[in-house]
Amino acid sequence: MLKLRDGEVSADSGAKYRGLLEAAPDAMVVVNQGGQIVLLNLQAEKQFGYHREELVGQPVKNIIPDGFAERLIADDLRSAEDALAQQIGTGIELVGRRKDGSAFPIEIMLSPLRSAEGVLVTAAIRDISVRKAAEQHLTQMEGSRQLVEEELRQSEERYRMLLDGIEDYAIFVMDPHGEVVSWNAGAERIKGYRADEIIGRNFSCFFPPEDVDRGRPVEVLRMTAETGRREEQGMRVRKDGSQFLASVTLTALRGPTGELRGFSEFSHDLSASKEAGAKYLGLLEAAPDAMVVVNKAGEIVLLNVQAEKRFGYYRDELLGQPVKNIIPDGFAERLVADDLRSAEDALAQQIGTGIELVGRRKDGSAFPIEIMLSPLESAEGILVTAAIRDISVRKAAEHHLAQMEGRYRGLLEAAPDAMVVVNKAGEIVLLNVQAEKQFGYHRDELVGQPVKNIIPDGFAARLIADDLRSAADALAQQIGTGIELVGRRKDGSAFPIEIMLSPLQSAEGILVTAAIRDISVRKDAEQHLREKVDELKRSNEELGQFAYIASHDLQEPLRMVASYTQLLSKRYKGQLDADADEFIAYAVDGASRMQQLIEDLLAYSRVATTGNELVDTSSEFALEQALQNLHWAIKDSGALVTHDPLPPVQADGMQLIQLFQNLVGNAIKYQSPGIPRVHISAARQGQMHWDFAVRDNGLGIDPQYFERIFGMFQRLHKRDEFSGTGVGLAICKKIVERHGGSLSVASALGQGSTFSFALAGTEMES
Amino acid sequence: MTTVRRTPVQVLLVEDSPGDVRLTREAFREANESVCLHVASDGVEAMAFLRQEGVHADAVRPDFILLDLNLPRMDGREVLALIKEDEDLRTIPTVILTTSEADADILRSYELNANAYLKKPVTLEAFENLVKSINDFWLTKVMLPQRRQRDD
Repeated sequence: MLKLRDGEVSADSGAKYRGLLEAAPDAMVVVNQGGQIVLLNLQAEKQFGYHREELVGQPVKNIIPDGFAERLIADDLRSAEDALAQQIGTGIELVGRRKDGSAFPIEIMLSPLRSAEGVLVTAAIRDISVRKAAEQHLTQMEGSRQLVEEELRQSEERYRMLLDGIEDYAIFVMDPHGEVVSWNAGAERIKGYRADEIIGRNFSCFFPPEDVDRGRPVEVLRMTAETGRREEQGMRVRKDGSQFLASVTLTALRGPTGELRGFSEFSHDLSASKEAGAKYLGLLEAAPDAMVVVNKAGEIVLLNVQAEKRFGYYRDELLGQPVKNIIPDGFAERLVADDLRSAEDALAQQIGTGIELVGRRKDGSAFPIEIMLSPLESAEGILVTAAIRDISVRKAAEHHLAQMEGRYRGLLEAAPDAMVVVNKAGEIVLLNVQAEKQFGYHRDELVGQPVKNIIPDGFAARLIADDLRSAADALAQQIGTGIELVGRRKDGSAFPIEIMLSPLQSAEGILVTAAIRDISVRKDAEQHLREKVDELKRSNEELGQFAYIASHDLQEPLRMVASYTQLLSKRYKGQLDADADEFIAYAVDGASRMQQLIEDLLAYSRVATTGNELVDTSSEFALEQALQNLHWAIKDSGALVTHDPLPPVQADGMQLIQLFQNLVGNAIKYQSPGIPRVHISAARQGQMHWDFAVRDNGLGIDPQYFERIFGMFQRLHKRDEFSGTGVGLAICKKIVERHGGSLSVASALGQGSTFSFALAGTEMES
Repeated sequence: MTTVRRTPVQVLLVEDSPGDVRLTREAFREANESVCLHVASDGVEAMAFLRQEGVHADAVRPDFILLDLNLPRMDGREVLALIKEDEDLRTIPTVILTTSEADADILRSYELNANAYLKKPVTLEAFENLVKSINDFWLTKVMLPQRRQRDD
C-alpha cells in the first residue's frame, strides 16, 4: 500500500504513480535516503519472494545487501544528492537476495523522485540470472576452446614443462572416461603417484571408496561435461590411502566441432591451510588487541571481535573493504611498493615497531592507536597482521604531562635566574633561556648532558648518595641554602655562581631544580671591599707607625731646643735686658709645651702599636695603681675618690691603669668650688660584660661638645684655666675601643660628668 | 778616710751629638768640678781610645764609661760587646745613656752586661738631676777596682 504521509502526495497523484509502478515489467522499489523501502510493486514482491508488508519500512539491504544503500548515503566527500546523481540512469550490476536466502544477479537502474520527504530513489530491478548464465557459459566455452587450441598448438614437451613447474596444484588431463593421460609434478607431490604409476589409470582412484561406491566419479564427469566447468571441494585420497580436503576445478575439453575430448583437473590441498587457518583464527579471537589482517591491496581479509568493537563495525562491513576505512592514513601506505622498494621491503621496515596512527570508528570519531605489524605468509601472498591498540589513555596522560611540562616550562622561562633541572644521575633534563645565555650553550647541547659540564664541582656531588646518607638525605641537606660554586661557560671561562636547590617530584623520581645566579658583580664588589679594607688597614698602620716615628725623632732636636733655652734662661736671666728675658721665657714655654704634645702623641700612638694582649686583669688593682699615680693630685685637691668592688675583666693591664688615671685625673682637674667627689662603679651587663662608670661632681660638659672632647688635641678651656694638650680623652677612647667597647659621656654644665665604658668579663666568671 | 779616690775622676763619654756632649759637660761641671770628661764621637774612636791606639796612644784608662747606643761607624751595642769581651776593659762600669726606650734595646744592653741603662730626660732640669745622680752614685759611692794607675 502507498504509505506516504498525509498531505505530502495527493491521493490522486499517488494512485497514478502506483498505476505506473504496477504496470512496469521490472521489479520496482522506491527507497528513501535512509535506505528504507517506502514503496514496491508486484514484480518486486515476486522477484524477492516477499509480501509487500514484509518489505515496506525495511532496509533495502535486506534484498540488495551490497552496493545499493551505499550509493544513497552522503559521506565526507559528497552530499546525498551528488552521490545519487552519479548513479542515475546507468545500469548497475548487483546481487539480489530472496526471502529464502538465495542470491541472484540483478541489474538496477536508479532514478530520482522528488517528494516532501526529500529525494526518493526509484530502482528498476531486473533479474539477469539468465543473461549471466549465458555470459558465463559463453566465457567457459571460449576458455575451453582456447585451452584445447593451446594444447594442440604447443608441443607436449613445453606443455608438460609448464604444468610441471606448478607444484602447489595437481594438474592432470583425462580422456572422456576419466583415464589419466598427463600428470604434472604438483600432482605427483600432492597425490603421491609418479606419472608412470598413474597414467592409464582411472581418476576414480583419487576418490574415497564410499564415493566410488556411489558412482561419484562418474557423476562428477557427467556434471562437468554438462556445464563445461565444475568447482567443488571434497575429500580425496592419496596413493598411501590418506585423505585430504581438496579444492578441485574440472573443465570439459571439447574439440572444434563440440565433441568431448576429455577433462582437465586442477586441484590443491586445502587441509594444511584450513587447519592452520582455524588455529590462527582462534589466536586472532583470543588476542586482547584488535587484530586486522590486510592483503597487499590494502583490503581487510580477516579481523577479530576486538576490532569489531573497537571500530564499531560488524565484521561483514569490514571484510573486503579498504583498511583505509578504519585507519585513514599511514597504514596502507606502509604496505605499498614504490619506486624505491618492493612491498616486502616496505613491510620489512615496519615489522615489529610500534607505529602511532589515528583510527576512525564507524561513527566517524577518531582515536589514537598504536599498531604492530607482522607478516603472514599465505597462498594469496604476504598478508599483514596488524595488532591495533587504543592508546587514548596513554595519549591523554602524555598530553597531560606535556601540559604540565608546558606550564612548568613557562614558569622556568619566566624566572629571572638561570634554571637547570637535573635528575639523580646528574644529567640535565630541562633548562631555561637564561641558562643558555649564562653558559653560552644552545639548549640541545646541554639536555641529557652531565651537569658537571657547566658546574664542574660541588653540584653533582651534592645529589649523590654515599655511605653515610641516601640521595634524598643528601639533597635534603642542600635544599634552600645558597651554595657558592664556580660555573663554566662553553668557551671554558669560569665565573662565580650561587645556586639554590629545590626538589621536584616527577615520574622519573626526584629531580632537582637549581636556580643559578651569576655573582661575579657581588664577588668583585666583595673582593674590592676586601682590598679596600686591607689598604685602609695598611695605611692606618703606616700612619700609626709614622706618628710614632715622627714624634720619637722630633723629640731629639726638640730636647736640644728645650734644654738650651732652659740653660740660657738659667744662666743669663736678669743679665740681659727685659726683652731678652721675655723672649727666652716664650721660647722655653713653647719648647716645653711642644715636648708635652709630642709625649702625648707618642702615648696615643702607643695604644695601638705597643699594646699588650687582653688577659684576665683585676680592674680594682688597675684602679688602685691609677690612684697611686694620682696620689699628689688627689692630695692637693682634697678630692674624695670612692669605688664599688670592681670585677676582673679582659684587659691590657697597663692601658687599664692609664684609662682610670686619665678619667679620674680629669674628674679631679675640672672641678667646681667645693670638695671634688669621684665615684667609680661597675654593673653587670648581660652574661659577658661590665659597665664601668666614672662619675664626678665637677664642672660638667655642655652636651654640644660631647663629640668633640674625644678628638685629638681638643680642649674646651683656655691654657691659663687648665693646662693640658687635649689628648687624654682621645687616648681613653682609643684604649676602650681597643678593648672592644665605646666610651661615652653623660653630663650637663654644672651637673658633673659621668664617663661610661664596657669591658668583657673574664671567662671563669661567665 | 778609708776610701782613697783618685782625682780627677776619668770619665769617657761616647756621644756623637755635640749638643748632648756640651750639655753633659755643663751638667758634670755643676755636679763635680773634679771630673775629667773625655769624649769619643763614635764607636771606632771609643775603642781606639780604650785600647790606646793611634792618636790615643797616651789616653788614660777611664774609671767610668757613658755610652750612647746610636752612633756612626760602630754603634754602642758593638762597643759594649767589645768592652765586655775584653779581659782588661770589662771591669770598667759602662752605663748606657740614650734616647731609646725600646724594650729590645734595654734587654740587649743588659745581656751584654751593661752596668745600667739610663734614658736621656727631655728637660734640662731632669738631665742635670740625672748627671748629679750619676756623680753621686757611680763616681762617689761606688767602689771601683784599683788598677794599673795607682796614685800611691
